[in-house]
Amino acid sequence: MGRTIFRVGWPRTDKDRAAAMISSLVLHIHPAKVQRHSLRASYTLGLGLTSAYLFGVLIVTGVVLMLYYTPHPLDAYRNMKDLQFVVTFGPVLRNMHRWAAHAMVVVVFLHMCRVFFTGAYKEPRQFNWVLGVGLLLLTLGLSFTGYLLPWDQLAFWAITVGSNIAGYAPGLGAEIKYLLLGGNVIESGALLRFYVLHCVILPLLAAMLIAMHVYRVRKDGLSAPPAAEPPPIEEMAPGRFPPSTRSYGLMALADRPAQPVVESEPDDEVLTWPHLLYREVLVLLAVLIALHAAALLFNAPLEEIADPTRTPNPAKAPWYFLGLQELVSYSALIGGVLVPTLLVLALVLVPYLDPVPRGVGVWFAPERSRANRIFAALASAAVALTLVGMFFRGPNWAWVWPWTP
Amino acid sequence: MRTPQRASVRFHLAFAVLGVTFLAIFSWVFLKEYLAEWRTTQAQFDQLQRRVKDPHALSLAAPLGEIQQIWLPDLNRVDRCPTCHLGIDDPAFVSAPEPYTTHPGAWLRTHAPDRFGCTSCHGGQGEATDFRNAAHQPIPYWSDPMRSPQLIEANCGACHRERRPRQAVWLEKGREVIANAGCIACHDIPGFSLEELRAPRLESVGYKVRPEWLRTWLADPKAYLAQARMPNFRLEPPEIDSLSAFLLAQRETAPLDSAGIDWSKADRDRGRTVFGEARCVTCHRLEGRGGTMGPELTTVGSKVGRAWLFSFIKDPTHDQPGTLMLRYRFTDDQIRDLVAYLTEDLIDPGAPQASSEVRYVEPALIERGREAFVRHGCYGCHRFSGMVDLGKIGPSLLGIGDRAIEAADFRNAAVVPSRPNWLFLKLRAPDTLADQSRMPTFNFSEPDAAAAVVALLSIRRADLPVSRVTDQPRPVRYEPQGTFGALVARYRCLSCHQTRGWGGELSTVPLDRIGSQLQHAYLVSYLQLPSAVRVSLEERMPWFRMTREEARTLADYLAGVFVDDSLERPVPLDADAARRGARLYQTLGCRGCHSLGGTGGYVGPDLSDSGRRLKPGWIEAWLSDPGRWKPGTLQPNYGLKPEEARSLTAYLMTLSTDRSGSTP
Repeated sequence: MGRTIFRVGWPRTDKDRAAAMISSLVLHIHPAKVQRHSLRASYTLGLGLTSAYLFGVLIVTGVVLMLYYTPHPLDAYRNMKDLQFVVTFGPVLRNMHRWAAHAMVVVVFLHMCRVFFTGAYKEPRQFNWVLGVGLLLLTLGLSFTGYLLPWDQLAFWAITVGSNIAGYAPGLGAEIKYLLLGGNVIESGALLRFYVLHCVILPLLAAMLIAMHVYRVRKDGLSAPPAAEPPPIEEMAPGRFPPSTRSYGLMALADRPAQPVVESEPDDEVLTWPHLLYREVLVLLAVLIALHAAALLFNAPLEEIADPTRTPNPAKAPWYFLGLQELVSYSALIGGVLVPTLLVLALVLVPYLDPVPRGVGVWFAPERSRANRIFAALASAAVALTLVGMFFRGPNWAWVWPWTP
Repeated sequence: MRTPQRASVRFHLAFAVLGVTFLAIFSWVFLKEYLAEWRTTQAQFDQLQRRVKDPHALSLAAPLGEIQQIWLPDLNRVDRCPTCHLGIDDPAFVSAPEPYTTHPGAWLRTHAPDRFGCTSCHGGQGEATDFRNAAHQPIPYWSDPMRSPQLIEANCGACHRERRPRQAVWLEKGREVIANAGCIACHDIPGFSLEELRAPRLESVGYKVRPEWLRTWLADPKAYLAQARMPNFRLEPPEIDSLSAFLLAQRETAPLDSAGIDWSKADRDRGRTVFGEARCVTCHRLEGRGGTMGPELTTVGSKVGRAWLFSFIKDPTHDQPGTLMLRYRFTDDQIRDLVAYLTEDLIDPGAPQASSEVRYVEPALIERGREAFVRHGCYGCHRFSGMVDLGKIGPSLLGIGDRAIEAADFRNAAVVPSRPNWLFLKLRAPDTLADQSRMPTFNFSEPDAAAAVVALLSIRRADLPVSRVTDQPRPVRYEPQGTFGALVARYRCLSCHQTRGWGGELSTVPLDRIGSQLQHAYLVSYLQLPSAVRVSLEERMPWFRMTREEARTLADYLAGVFVDDSLERPVPLDADAARRGARLYQTLGCRGCHSLGGTGGYVGPDLSDSGRRLKPGWIEAWLSDPGRWKPGTLQPNYGLKPEEARSLTAYLMTLSTDRSGSTP
């Protein structure tokens, strides 16, 4: 019977291992062989994989949490208390979902930084970078919509501040805010909208984008080898496949480019099973251990029930929007609309604007030092603004030192 | 270096370490669930109940290993306290330690846990299943921690909204403090009404008070009179200047004419006699003795002017239509002597003397005084024509018991930032909590302020279902009409007496059935010249000097209308029964409290004249069940048989101080 499920059985030879990779739907995401280059932890840091794992954990814990959650102001907060006090494994579930969500924002951001600093968004991966930017925005959106669901003071006022930032957009700001909240204020309509966005719309979108993202990675090779400099796409005949950076493919078709890909010797490649799979399992274990430890040691915050009449001072957006809130505190229009719009636009266009085709596949390639410096400056600015918003802003958004009580 | 085609030992080692760590941490999740605080608490209770209970009772005991909860949908509460407080309604655990011990007192009998839960009385986080989160002590992000014993009556008051809830002394006292302090003048407070407010009207105050007294009064009312109702508004000297200029300019109604009075003939000693005979001290304090319904008179001579006082005693309603003060039937000469006594003998020698210099008062100063009058909300207590729609100056106190308190509200006060502490400080020293606070300083004593905090905390925001609330109907104003009504208004009977739930509380005798209790002839004579039935009381009925005609009108009406038909029944009185009654009077020890012909106790009324004073139907009904007629009376219920009550009645009806045997 085992054979009807796993056709290959436990592979004992390299041939079987390669066949296992090909015949299994799940494992088919991988090629049968990978370059040694891709396995270097110091190159990828496993960040993309970690994001995917976190997404998986969030789906699993999120679906279980849905069993205990009613998206209505009268029930939502009590559901949180029940999760905290009486649902079996409730605290661990909620904590893990919370910390995994926060971790995902961080890891996705770091993943983007890694890809930039290694120049990995360059040809032929330009569009995958754009998909990645979309996934970053979706991650933020998922986290933001989930933030409201506990319906406590923290949630209510963070979303109030966050949705007000959306309202600063010129012309359509009020309409966007109305569309987001299903009304002018945050109450049952807004909670329902955020719930549907958080549990249905955004996860589906994210899943689709992740599928495309991973498919592209699979097709383009796990990561760009430092030396590979494929010819530009324009030089290829129409209707042809772009040259593969992989030398090993099942579909070794006749109209492949005549010139063999000499850069990657067969010796540079190893079987996915066990080399990549083993590493993936180890990363999975590490992620799970970290999440369990966080969930057991630190409780997800839950403040008093949402009270629209009682504004905390300062009211802060979710932490990943605090940089934005900090900018808004200087200028609502420039900081809240112009800067973030330009930033997203610039991110999307990066692979198409970058004039230097070289420096792919190595960290901080000297050819790319200018691009890396610009990106590093912007990323540090974003991090710094966020840190300022988190730790250095007190009542009335006045400057405070974190160590003063 | 080539990557080998086989996974290296390094990886196997990493896998082993990570795998074992993961298994360990994953079992920790289960362990944490299994070792939950409430489970160990229940396990200890199981040990305890095996020691405390016999096997049969044990077999009937509720099963353990589950979370116990009380769900009260109408209160939006889920209380899981019984998960750990397992012996709370079982007397077997009365000496068990917390959390297993039995609930003290009889509270669970009147407040069954399955109907009231735990947190509605105690506060705390009922949903929690561990000690800390149940908010036995204050915790962050839970605004309703368990009430300390000092404050728990605040939770009684959330449901029990009557002014005097039973068995909640602090709450009762606090509500009294709030009513007496006149908080309702500036704040809307559920359960209190403006009708309770008492403060003189000031439209003609310019005729009434002496300017130099007014300045000291405005600066600090308690300096003139320790028990003054008016709080200290912490006025600056310029404001005192303008306010007194404004007030002294108020001369709407001139006093009644006293031009024809020859003050040189005034006799202060005769005035003192009139003062005593009229029993002014029933309502007015004098050198530490007397009632508190009216203002203290110890230094009244330094406060008011002679002409105004003459007019006021002659007809108090002339410029104070709503006053509690009655209108005596004094002659002008008696009033003259009384006023002379009050204004010349009752003075404060240390009071500032009137300055002789005449000062021109600018209209602008008066206008500034008017602004200050409005700014400080004086019109809240001192109803003032032309200032009716200004609204209350302070915020509504609806939901004050749930007011969110932030640490910043305390400024620099070094106290724990809690709601009770904030209210306490606000009551005791409002100026420390905010600059420019308009709330005046009341100088509440610490117990008074603490009691008021309890009462304020009972005013919650969340409205309870009607079925949960107990209250007493607010009394409806009773204003009799006609000649009887005019006399009741003149002599202000309802300043002290109650009828139909309306009226003052000085007299302990409600008038509702007075016509069935007292004989008509006695009423007529008593109203003309009240004699003390209870000699130990300081507050006695004043001598109104009403005419016989007036007394008869009142007595007729009382005997005709203020009756209880169940008392109007004939009681067979014969000499035999009276003799048995006399023996009963001895054996029951009535003389311990009642006096007869000058001997006996002073706790109850003198019975020497009961044959001419009381109606037999009333005596019999009273003796049969005193508590029914006067809840909380000291008169014991002896459980008398009907014939015993009749015998005692017969005996009491033979008692009379009138030896002539004629009726007056």
